[in-house]
Amino acid sequence: MTDSQSGVSFTALAVLLIAAPIIPGVASRTKAILTGRQGSPVWQLYADLWKLAQRGTVLSTRTTWIFQLAPVVLLATTIVAAALVPLDGRVSIVRFAGDAVAFAGVLGLGRFALSLAALDTGSSLEGMGASREVTFASLAEPGLFVAFATLGVIAHDFSLSAMLGDAAGRVGASGGAGPSLVMVALSVFALSLAECSRVPVDDPSTHLELTMVHEVMVLDHSGPDLAMILYAGALKLGLFSAILMNVLVAASGQGKWSFGGAAIAALVASFVGMGVSIGVVESIVARLRQPKVPLYLAGGSALALFGLILVLR
Amino acid sequence: MNVFLAGLGLILAAGIGAALVRGTRARAGDAVYQILLIIGCITAGAAAGRVLALGAPLSLTIHGAMPGGDWVLGIDSLSAVFLLAILGVGAACAVFGTHDLAAERARGRRATWFTQLSFATLLAAIALVVAARTVVVFLGAWEVMAISSYVLIVAHHEEENVRRSGLIYLVATHTATLALFAMFATWDAAASSWSFDALAAAAPSLGPGATIAVLLLALVGFGFKAGFVPLHFWLPPAHAAAPSHVSALMSGIVIKTGIYGLLRVLLLLGGAPAWWGWLVLGLGVSSGVLGVLWALAQHDIKRLLAYHSVENIGIILMGIGVGALGVSYHAPVIAMLGFAGGLLHTVNHALFKSLLFLGSGAVYRATGTRNMEELGGLARRMPLTWLGFVIGAAAIIGVPPFNGFVSEWLVYQGLFSAGQTSEVSRLAILGIPALALISGLALACFTKVAGVVFLGTARTAHASDAIEIPRGNYLPALALAAACVTLGAMPALGIGLVSATVRELAGVGNVGLPAPVISGASMISLVALSTLALSTLLWLTRRALGRRWTARREPTWACAYDAPTPRMQYTSSSFAAPLLSIFGPLSGVRVERSTTAMRTHASDAVLDGVALPLWRRVHRAALRLRGLQQGRLHLYLLYVMAALLVLLGYLAFGSRP
Repeated sequence: MTDSQSGVSFTALAVLLIAAPIIPGVASRTKAILTGRQGSPVWQLYADLWKLAQRGTVLSTRTTWIFQLAPVVLLATTIVAAALVPLDGRVSIVRFAGDAVAFAGVLGLGRFALSLAALDTGSSLEGMGASREVTFASLAEPGLFVAFATLGVIAHDFSLSAMLGDAAGRVGASGGAGPSLVMVALSVFALSLAECSRVPVDDPSTHLELTMVHEVMVLDHSGPDLAMILYAGALKLGLFSAILMNVLVAASGQGKWSFGGAAIAALVASFVGMGVSIGVVESIVARLRQPKVPLYLAGGSALALFGLILVLR
Repeated sequence: MNVFLAGLGLILAAGIGAALVRGTRARAGDAVYQILLIIGCITAGAAAGRVLALGAPLSLTIHGAMPGGDWVLGIDSLSAVFLLAILGVGAACAVFGTHDLAAERARGRRATWFTQLSFATLLAAIALVVAARTVVVFLGAWEVMAISSYVLIVAHHEEENVRRSGLIYLVATHTATLALFAMFATWDAAASSWSFDALAAAAPSLGPGATIAVLLLALVGFGFKAGFVPLHFWLPPAHAAAPSHVSALMSGIVIKTGIYGLLRVLLLLGGAPAWWGWLVLGLGVSSGVLGVLWALAQHDIKRLLAYHSVENIGIILMGIGVGALGVSYHAPVIAMLGFAGGLLHTVNHALFKSLLFLGSGAVYRATGTRNMEELGGLARRMPLTWLGFVIGAAAIIGVPPFNGFVSEWLVYQGLFSAGQTSEVSRLAILGIPALALISGLALACFTKVAGVVFLGTARTAHASDAIEIPRGNYLPALALAAACVTLGAMPALGIGLVSATVRELAGVGNVGLPAPVISGASMISLVALSTLALSTLLWLTRRALGRRWTARREPTWACAYDAPTPRMQYTSSSFAAPLLSIFGPLSGVRVERSTTAMRTHASDAVLDGVALPLWRRVHRAALRLRGLQQGRLHLYLLYVMAALLVLLGYLAFGSRP
């Protein structure tokens, strides 16, 4: 990697760290416009994070160190995962053969820590949330890996930088992998809604503990801890929007931009695009009943599997 | 080689020492046992380490009028990798077990020396199994291993459950031995002597039918020991019944001798046909998915861990299957990736599974129960045990920076590289979602165990009165935890450990491992270290932010309900319920509903569905023969007469030329 490329990679990471909190804001703004409400401003999450960082924390008397460590681990692993994704559409900061496995692995560590923190409170509601979170995550994981495998087969390399960078687009356009890439994109979008706890799997705006999944896990977190969890959630949305954007660009058969500024602009555009799509989905689709969620996830995974079979043929 | 034998001698001497110095001097006996055993493990381990470091295999032939010809022992790189794991984990389990047994002695149990003697015998026998180079020594050591395991499983034979588990184990292990006898007999018919060298030399001249028979019999014989689905049914009851340090050795090491056997057969045969690779890969996938699914359904913490051994054997088999496919399709890179993943996962699983079993042993000792629904909140009362357990849990679910991740990463890469080929082997890529499902379910399962047992509040008095076991006792487990973190943060260490064997299995001579593996290993170190560094940085930031306010302590939010009780916590059954209901009848959960209560039971599809009904049918058939045995002399004389008459009749009429 040349210096200028690595400069772009680091700039892209910085842009993610700064701009990702806009995604939930864009989503709720879109929802507000579509449903004819006033709504909160786009930068609401920044204000919330700032407010929470100033606040003190309330800790449950039952909790142990893992409760306090979990938000830290969650945020750290999400940032490390970001370093593995080619946010600028070309190369990631850290890349190696099979780094897609590491991407899923570090996100898994964060989820493990947060689920343990939920059980640490001894609350039945948070236990329920943790149970649902790990259930849905374990069903979404195979689909995500099928999507990675499909991209890898197209790019002839099992690293995210090749799958999402130039190689997939180049080979994909000439090798007739377009339909596969479209299926992978649909599948990644469906699964990222589950991974990031949005409708139709989870509803971040619900107010009833019994119906929550991700939100109920963090009921007892407050102050800077809650800020870290919310921030990590926004970063994860940003990661999936970058992945999705790159798959779509590859599917379109267009070559990648060579200019660093264009890469950064595309990244920010992907955040806005993700926010708008989430907002649209949440405005027109109701949340699924819990027993239906596995079907939804299986459907999302099956899409990617069709894509894989098409390129294996 | 003499150093190795001296080490084994010391291990045996440790057992004998414990047997001799007992009764009122039992404390001195414990000291003798631990010191001799540790020195023995270090001595024998040094011999194995030397083989790996210098790359020069050892061998020793004992001539003379031994049964079965000369006895040959040897250590090559494959044996050495297994020996290091066996001796390291064995020493840790023995030290932990000594403290456990001392506690039992304090409660009035006498024959703890016998457990120690059997344990030392078992350890020496396993070491001998992987060092044996003739059929007679191998099968002899194999049987000593099987019998001493049985003796250890039924250590608490006063409980009916334990005796039943022991019996099931004994039947399974002897069925396995029978298959091995058949395998070696088939193979040896073509060989000049009973030594492994002769078997290897005879391998090319084996007919196609004989090769198929050898490969299938090896899969059955070694498969029973390794415990993959559907040959796993003896494993969960036996591992739950044995004392904890014995379960740790059995789950971590003894079942791995099955994996060793498969790899040894592969080496001696010089590769296997493609169908065998597919079969092993398929067995690995089914064993992995079903193992973790059945683990989720368990209430007993040790049974749960035992089912996870079934799952991890599945992951190991997936690696070996990919490796065998790589060899048969002449793709050395795929072969190396697969074997490296399988072999490294064998070592890793030995470390984290014994760590987890020692943790469950500490919990059992402190609380007197293995039922997770009765536990809870132990993290506060047993901080060290919790630390070890949570490290083991993170290692087994395969997340960085722990060792389980490294080997799963290798297996993923093997599956993916197979997908790159143009041959039919590219279908192996469909193993990727299966492995992803396995690790996802494992994460769910270990969130459940760690959370329900250690976090929240105590559900019963068993848990609320728990007292942490003395710190010194837990040192062996912490050493295992340190090994898990080291191998996870520095994957190059583990990969270097297995690389010589992997080259041999893949049949590539002196070619190094693929470059992406080497560079990937150092990048995983980078990922691990940056995760740690970033966490530390954020932790310090959090402390700095928190300094302005002191954290308030309030009860957990319960939707404004102000009298929550420990019984209102999510239980282990309710935690696992959504996942199990998705998989329906496959999960093997039976639900009993009444108007006031609901209970779930975990049943084993193979044991309760196939093995026991079959057993009962054989038993009934055997009972029908009972009428022949009346115990009266004149009846027996009649039988003898009848047999004679039949024989005479046969001679007179049947054998006419």
